[in-house]
Amino acid sequence: MSSGPFHSPSRRNFLRGGTTLLALPFLESFGFRRFASAAEKSATVPKRIAFIGMGFGVTRETWFPDTATMGADYELPDGLKPLQRHKDDITVIQNLSNQFSNEAHWGSTFWLTGANRYAEPGQSFHNSISADQVAAEVLGKETRFTSIQLGSETADTSGHGPGLSLAWNRQGKPVAGLDNPTLAFHRLFSDETMPLEQRQLLLKQKRSVLDSVMENAKSVGRGLNSSDADKLDEYFQSVREIETRLSKEEQWLGVSKVQPVDPVKVPREGLAGAEEIKLMYDLMIAAMQVDASRVFTYRQPVTSLLQSLGATISAHNMSHYQPGMRMEASQKRDRKNSELLAYFIDKLKASKEADGSSLYDHTTLSFGSNINSIHYLTNCPTLITGGGAGVKHGRHIVLEDTKTPLSNLWLTLLQGTGIDVDSHGDSTGTLSELLTG
Amino acid sequence: MCRILVACSGIFCSVADASDLETVPSAVMPEEHFAVFEKYCLECHDSLTGKGNVDLEELSFELGDLETAERWQKILNSLNSGEMPPEDKKQISDEEKTAFLDDLSHQLVTARKVLSDTGGAITMRRLNRREYKNSIRDLLGVEVDVADLPDDAGSGGFDTAGGALFFSSDQLERYLTLGRKALDAALLDLPVPPRPETRKVRVEAEEEANKRITGILRGYHMGGYRKYMMWKASNGRPASDFGLVDDKEMEFRKLAWDRNAPQYIDYLTRPETKNGALITIGGNLCPQVPAVIPDEMPAGNYKVRVRIGAFPKMPSERTFVEMGYRGDRIDGAIDLIETRKVNGTVAKPETIEFDLALRAPKNPLKEDVGTETKKVVMLGDRVVVFRERQPNVRGSNVYRNTMAREATGFGPDPALWVDWVEWEGPVYDDESAWPPRSHNEIFFKGPGVALDDAYAREIVERFAEKAFRGRAASPAFFDRLMAQYRARIDHGEAAHDAIREPLAVILASPAFLYLAEPVGEGERRELDDLELAVRLSYFLWSSLPDEELYELARKGALKRPAVLAKQTARMLNDPRSWEFVSGFTHQWLGMDRLDFFQYNYRLYPEFDDSVKTAARAEVYHTIDRLIRENRSIGELLKSDTVVINDVLADFYDIPGVKGEQFRRVKVPDDLPRGGLLGTVAVLAMGSDGERSSPVERGAWVMRHLLHDAPPPAPANVPQLSRHAGKLLPARELLLAHMDEAQCAQCHRKIDPIGYGLENFTAAGQWREMEYTEIAANNRVRESKEHPIDASGTMPDGTAFTGFYELRDQIAKREDAFARGFAEALIAYGLGRPFGFSDYDLADEILAKAESKENRMSQFIHALVQSKPFRTK
Repeated sequence: MSSGPFHSPSRRNFLRGGTTLLALPFLESFGFRRFASAAEKSATVPKRIAFIGMGFGVTRETWFPDTATMGADYELPDGLKPLQRHKDDITVIQNLSNQFSNEAHWGSTFWLTGANRYAEPGQSFHNSISADQVAAEVLGKETRFTSIQLGSETADTSGHGPGLSLAWNRQGKPVAGLDNPTLAFHRLFSDETMPLEQRQLLLKQKRSVLDSVMENAKSVGRGLNSSDADKLDEYFQSVREIETRLSKEEQWLGVSKVQPVDPVKVPREGLAGAEEIKLMYDLMIAAMQVDASRVFTYRQPVTSLLQSLGATISAHNMSHYQPGMRMEASQKRDRKNSELLAYFIDKLKASKEADGSSLYDHTTLSFGSNINSIHYLTNCPTLITGGGAGVKHGRHIVLEDTKTPLSNLWLTLLQGTGIDVDSHGDSTGTLSELLTG
Repeated sequence: MCRILVACSGIFCSVADASDLETVPSAVMPEEHFAVFEKYCLECHDSLTGKGNVDLEELSFELGDLETAERWQKILNSLNSGEMPPEDKKQISDEEKTAFLDDLSHQLVTARKVLSDTGGAITMRRLNRREYKNSIRDLLGVEVDVADLPDDAGSGGFDTAGGALFFSSDQLERYLTLGRKALDAALLDLPVPPRPETRKVRVEAEEEANKRITGILRGYHMGGYRKYMMWKASNGRPASDFGLVDDKEMEFRKLAWDRNAPQYIDYLTRPETKNGALITIGGNLCPQVPAVIPDEMPAGNYKVRVRIGAFPKMPSERTFVEMGYRGDRIDGAIDLIETRKVNGTVAKPETIEFDLALRAPKNPLKEDVGTETKKVVMLGDRVVVFRERQPNVRGSNVYRNTMAREATGFGPDPALWVDWVEWEGPVYDDESAWPPRSHNEIFFKGPGVALDDAYAREIVERFAEKAFRGRAASPAFFDRLMAQYRARIDHGEAAHDAIREPLAVILASPAFLYLAEPVGEGERRELDDLELAVRLSYFLWSSLPDEELYELARKGALKRPAVLAKQTARMLNDPRSWEFVSGFTHQWLGMDRLDFFQYNYRLYPEFDDSVKTAARAEVYHTIDRLIRENRSIGELLKSDTVVINDVLADFYDIPGVKGEQFRRVKVPDDLPRGGLLGTVAVLAMGSDGERSSPVERGAWVMRHLLHDAPPPAPANVPQLSRHAGKLLPARELLLAHMDEAQCAQCHRKIDPIGYGLENFTAAGQWREMEYTEIAANNRVRESKEHPIDASGTMPDGTAFTGFYELRDQIAKREDAFARGFAEALIAYGLGRPFGFSDYDLADEILAKAESKENRMSQFIHALVQSKPFRTK
């Protein structure tokens, strides 16, 4: 165990607790009943929302269904074939895009935000809040983790563009992600082995750390002009975020992390590619099962996925495919993605809620990228699934306006999930056709 | 009605000539292009019809605000994508479209720059990842592992640009953890424990190797073969009777025996393996010889030695040994630390010594035992291995082994023989340095003095002053820190542990993490001496000022031009200026591209990590030498010398270079080296790891040497695929760019420069013929060789016949190169993107440098002496 200020106060003065989980009744007998309040949830089955960004776009020739076949009567093309068993439960939408996107290799930066990079005069980069973070502000209240951002170590070379995950906060600043399954596992399921008393002490110490740095921040802030003060404000904002996290941690202090019914093993270090993605899906499912969080994003690897499929070319080279080896690699990648996604949907359907419904029934999952294919940024590949937002699935929808804002989809899904918002990004309305048969 | 607001029609504000203008330039679309609108667009997009809400008559030709820029961006996008004009309408002629797009894409770049110009204001900056690491090192004498912090270099500009350096809550938590780790490494417990003793352990290489190889031969191979023979003789009894799963497995074991046994037997019966180990490329026999340093050994400086010799008549490239960390990998890849030439022979081996800065282990030592083979491999952070140099890719050694086996029957010849390996440490350079300086500087009263509250506060205040670069913190801040300290003591923590808490908090405080220079709203002011010392040290060292700078600042002397110049010279001469050289150069020349690709080991086995590491270092050392030896930046364009080491000398075929250190060497007359364009780093970056890319190389030359950066690759341009799947030379493939105006507008300038470098392979080796192939899974389906035509043209139309003339043409344009360098230096040194408001500054620097033969150091001096550098 590390002993930084945000970890145990000392390695030596406290006995480490056993690795077994402390069950609630045990804690209650020690008078910690009040902590259990955090575990009390509303009775209805919660809604969940997840976004999976795939970086570089798809093989356009073989991923998009034929636009001549719309509605329920369409064939899944080669790239989506592995999803055949879920065909009635997915929707493929064409003609969505972000109007301000000009960066041909940024598949994720503006995918969920719809922002204009140049919107701020005097700045060369600007972003705004992503759809998942809008959802997290509401859905995250009752769970231990307000939202979970998953990522990968090869994201930099996978066509995602700037950012630390798919998520961008209210200030348009990047939100960090958990970049490998081992990290994600420990965050979600490893319990502190430390005795409660020590953890309370730890929280107190963390708060005094924040007090100290805030004291220093106040002196540094004196006499700064407004643009410097804006920069320092990011620091203040970070301290506030940690404070919020600490309050939540305190709320959950006596509550063990719930272990999923099918236990997930501690992932081996160094998993990569398809195996890594599958494991991240397992972790998301497990986290949904125990209601650790209701909002998920995953910035998927492309580079390591390709390597795990035996391709020796880089992700970027693959994305510039031409008939031949590169295109074959690109198509193989598409099919693998669909196969993994089908596996994810299997699991969503198989996981039952208390009332007999499934995770699938209450979850909305979006899969796609800001990049269509190669350098194309129009018609962003978009596949949605899950019953959480009231979408009538089983259809191929080709929107009439070939430049329908992606933000309209996010707005539709947010509203469908019960989030009270009127607009998102550059939205101009909702996609009512998704909800009606 | 046509409302073109531009009076000065035809003024074309490209970046290069805008310096002539008095005011901040504006981006203006030349008026003549309205003719394109009239001819092809207004039918639908005039004020009256305004189809799709697009009114081109009302559109301003001056891209003066974000909204107008956005509208032009959409025009650019719809032309690029071929969306406009619609298919059933009259199409724009190629000539008009090319000219229109060329102007528009450049004007949009200008507009974006104008609109994001900060007007010279420097935004307060956070320490970037490099600066944080260096500052911790200079404060505590400890190297921290900063892999968990975001890499600040990714956003396009330099990692010193304050406006682009974000801060997040996760980062704050990481600073706290990293600071605590650094303190744990820097400080000893009290009372000070005795100094760890130096241990020295030597391992005979054959001990481990022979045991392992005999084990696999006897167990897996011979065992499998015996079972197979018994099974065959048994007339149809099931495989499971003999302990194997099924018939398939039986057949496989027979195959494995046939394929591998000769190699194993050959290995074990060679006389050299009686008292040493053979290392070679390929195979799973003995690719590496490990030295395992136990986890309980403390972090510190170690020596690792290997007694080694090369077999006679080995080609030169097979006489290098690589040392690296195996870590947790079982696939043969390593984290390369160093490469050395082996000059000893099997008959007369030599001892090669490496320095190793050993860290505390994160992943403990463990054994990985093969499920079938029972092969035991040691894993963990402390496993240091030696191997023959080779591509650091899984699969490369298997491939080379297969190739060699097909030729010789039992794998590649061994190239190197290892007698023994040895590690020794921790080694101490100064016998009296215990407790180490890092500890003594914090516990400044000496080892015997007990830690009470008053002493603790002194420690904390002294440390804060250093970390905050001479700025005092408020008493209230120290009160809080001391309260934290007290609280820990009260909970029973030892004082030497408790003191680390406030010190770690200091390392996560804004006064340490930000370089603050307070200034009134909308005001400018001269930096005070202390601020100047900090700006200078983060510019040239990417770290804190040293005592000499602080001393001059305190005396108020640093501001004096002569003193400032002397200090600049001193700092450039100091080894710490390597931080500037490497940090700046890496970003200036876009060298991250060197890590973008896995170079194809089948086509370019010579381009391994040893060469790649040396290639990157060559560029840094070249620039380092230019600064130190007061040479002209023109040498980066053309030179008759190179700065290389033995690995690169072997790669470039330059004789007489011995040793791993970089030195200046004369280029033999017939070799195409000297200047950036001849470096393997630049040439390899201009490829995709498979084929050379005239596009990447041409664009690199325009961006970095000619100061004429092409606009960013546009979105939605249809990809060329007319030649897909044909074995054509790169040059012929690229001619397709001329088919489409969208492509031609830029590629007519980019590609012809790249043609001039076609005599270099994707890995930077000279070639006379271009090899093309169609391959999958390491099998070549079809291949063809083409003669190379390396003639081309400069963007201004000047023709050249090949590499040497291209290099001469570029060398003639030293002025443009100098301007590009000056602009990059300004952006890096001032910590913000180069803006139009910086033209005067660039001119001033260029004039000063030119008067001193464009010496590289003079650019740096000129910037440091300039008013903007001394102004907030």
